[in-house]
Formats: sequence, structure tokens, C-alpha cells
Amino acid sequence: MLCEKCGKNHATTHIKTVVNGVIREYNLCDSCAANSGYATNSLTGMLASMFGDFTKQESLIPQTKCSVCGATFRDIAKSGKVGCGECYNTFYDELLPYLKRVHGSTKHVGKVPCSAPLTVIQKGETIEDLRNELARLVREENYEQAAVVRDKIKEMEAGENE
Amino acid sequence: MSNWYKTAGPKDDIAVSSRIRLARNLKGMPFPSRMTTEQRIELNNRVKEAILGSNTPFAKTLKYIDMRDVPETQKYAMVERHIISPEFANKTEPTAIILSGDESISIMIGEEDHIRIQVILSGLQLNEAYDIAERIDALLYDSLHFAFDSRLGFLTECPTNLGTGLRASVMLHLPALESSGEIENLGSSIGKIGFTVRGMYGEGSKSLASLYQISNQITLGLSEKNALDNLKIITTQLIEKELESRNNLNQLGIEDICYRALGTLQNARILSSKEMMSLLSSVKLGASMGILNIEASPLEILIEAQPFMLCQKYGILEPQDRDIYRANMVREKLK
Ligand SMILES: [Zn+2]
Ligand SMILES: [Zn+2]
Repeated sequence: MLCEKCGKNHATTHIKTVVNGVIREYNLCDSCAANSGYATNSLTGMLASMFGDFTKQESLIPQTKCSVCGATFRDIAKSGKVGCGECYNTFYDELLPYLKRVHGSTKHVGKVPCSAPLTVIQKGETIEDLRNELARLVREENYEQAAVVRDKIKEMEAGENE
Repeated sequence: MSNWYKTAGPKDDIAVSSRIRLARNLKGMPFPSRMTTEQRIELNNRVKEAILGSNTPFAKTLKYIDMRDVPETQKYAMVERHIISPEFANKTEPTAIILSGDESISIMIGEEDHIRIQVILSGLQLNEAYDIAERIDALLYDSLHFAFDSRLGFLTECPTNLGTGLRASVMLHLPALESSGEIENLGSSIGKIGFTVRGMYGEGSKSLASLYQISNQITLGLSEKNALDNLKIITTQLIEKELESRNNLNQLGIEDICYRALGTLQNARILSSKEMMSLLSSVKLGASMGILNIEASPLEILIEAQPFMLCQKYGILEPQDRDIYRANMVREKLK
């Protein structure tokens, strides 16, 4: 199907939207969708087109399937959507370059899911609190979360020296 | 407490609203686009149980709504109140929402991610909104296991939300920066530092009511606190620039525009939503510059006179009838 707006490119984005109270459906290409301000769709489109470069090299695509949802890397590349949490583990190496391009980073530095005391980013939390937290985690041999807290302390120390 | 658009908030003469959205997914379940109907129903029930079954006083203020029970008109009216996303309103699969009485908290279940926690408050209240969202996050985490990876953070269906899963945004009224053309330059420089500027209520990047939404784009490699702090800095700068730009406007010219806008709104018999929005924008500018002295809130009118909001109030209306009902309602409010 051709894009309804430019009539030139292939329509890749299907949009259902409300204009002045009337529900309308559009089929647009990536660039027309982006120009019409459909940010989320264009991001997915952008992502799919970034993966697109990769899918051309068919022989390099792993045939592996995610053990939880059954998605292949090809499925993810085509839709711009990841199948499940386990996919990120299964296709970690393949996804990394794209994450780097989207976020400029591949390392999470934010909050970690944990019951109340470990919520790292709390307003007014001091380096002292974090050091105690780190000590507790090391005592409990919870090294994975300890590393996150350690990074947090480094970040705060760097912030103080600025 | 009342809806965000009916409540006054800090700096709301320019910063109309603040919104926090956290994306969370459950461990061991495929993301929404690969879910079966049975899995969606299971998801709805698990999230419902996690919140409403927690028996905390906070949970008692929230209500669970099966979206299949909500008529189309009401769904799109929710979109117009910024309670749910248009994508969520369009979903035909079993989805659900958990809503607070004042609608400041809405937890969308089964949108692009399993759980989207949204908190929207009037004015510039990013920290306040984030604190509420974090409380809900903690409440959910008490009984649910989130898909999380120590390297990549919270795992999301679209990799653009990966990491903190946090999307923070403020909606700003920037008529002076828009008319001077500065908004476009500002938008592209803000874009370079990982934030986006999007015109609300318009085609493409232009906004009918000079309302712009600023949000963070980067969610990986940046902490929640940093994302919020940066957004606050950008917002504060934009507010200062808007005020500066307002001072440079021709005083008599701007008075003329504001009084004419109010005059039209107070007298029109037929009012399209497009015309209303641009006039209300001038009235809001006039009110915040002290030119117009009005009691009604232009923003409240703008939301309540949206097409589906009118249908929700007066019944299903044809577009031409809607313009008449809108004109009547606006005249009444600005009397
Ligand atoms: Zn096109
Ligand atoms: Zn998977």
C-alpha cells in the first residue's frame, strides 16, 4: 500500500486518530508520519528502519528463538517491538548497538526494583545513606544491586565536585 | 481535589500541566503485542489485585475500570482530558485502567507495556507527580515481579523506553515564542540534548493553542533524578524566554488581539474547535499579562469544549451542532 500523503513511499504506519471529533484512519510512510507529528509511531518506524539495515545481511541474523515468547531477532527488527523481557537477554548482543544509537548509552543508572529501603533515588538521600545501603548489600552478598548503589555514590560524588 | 485542568498550580500561567509516566512489565509474560486474550485478562486481574487487594488507605481512593465497559465517546473524552493515550483508546483487546477520583492517577493496563503509571498535575509539579508515581510503583512491586535487567534497567516493549521507563513532560503555553518564530530554534536545540518539543492540538509541529509539550527522550544511562532535573532546567529557561518575549510585544497590538479574542468568544453563536482554541490562547495570554480580568480558566474551557467532552455532556452531536453547543457553553462560561 502506498502512503496516502505523498503517494510515493510504502505505507508503514497505520494511524487511527481523532480530528475534530471524527475518527480517521491513515496509512502513511515513515517520513510523512514523522512530519505529521506522530512521534511514537515514527520512533518505532525509525527503530524498525535502523534494524532494517541489519536485516539486509540475512546471513548474519541468528536463527535463535526466545525461549519465553518465541520471537526471533527478525521479528523484533521488523516490528521495532521486543517480544518479552527475556528477549533482551537472548538478543542482548544484537540489540546493544541500537540501544547505543537511541540512548547514547547501554547502561542503566536509575532506580532498581526493590522493596522500600533500596529505592535509590529518593529526594534528600545523602551519600551517607547510600554508603550504609552499600555496606548492607555487601554484607548480604547482593553484589548485583551493590554495584548499582556504588555507581550511584560515584555519580553523587562527581556531582559534588562540580 | 479536582481534575488537573480545573485546579490551579504553581506557574500555571505558562506551565499548564506536569505529567509523569512510568512503564513497567511483568516478568515471564510476553509484552502486549505478543499476548493472547487469556494472558491479557490474567494481566488485568493481577494488576487489579496488586493495587486494590493491598488494602492500603491509598488504594481505597482508586477505582478499577474494564475498558470494554466504557463507550467510545467516553474513551475519547478521556483522551481529551489527557487521562489515557489515543493508542489505548483505540485498543480492541481486553484492557483496563485504574483511576483515582480526581483522575490525577491513571494506571493503564495492557497499553504498549503491561503497566503504564501516569500522574498528571496542574502547573509545574514534576517532583510531586514523580513522588506519587513512585509510591504506586512501590505498591505494585510489593506483589508483582517486574521484568528488570541489572544492565538495561526496566525492560519495555519499545527499546526507546528502556532503562528507567520514565517519560516526564510539561505542557507550556508559549504564544510569544511561537509568534516570534523562536520556538522552532529552541525546539531543535532542545532536541540535541535528548528532549523533544511537540506542538499539542495541531497538525505537525504547529499548535493551535500555542501549547507545547516538552519531554525527555533518553531513558537509558540517565537516572530519574537527572532526567527530572534537566527537564526542570529547560522548563524554567523556556518560561523566562517566553516572559522576555512577551515584554517585547507591542503593548497596544497585544491588547487589541486579547480584547478581540474575548469579544468573539463572548458573542459567537457558532464556534469551531479550531477557532476556539486560537482565541482561548489569546485570552489566556491576556489574563496572565494582566490585560484581561476574567474569572473563568481558559484552559478549563479548552478541555471541556473538546468534541467528545461535549458529546459526553450533551449526547452524541453532529459536527455542525457541536459548534453551536460549543459557542453556547463558551459564552456562558465567559459571561
Ligand atoms: Zn509519505
Ligand atoms: Zn521473548
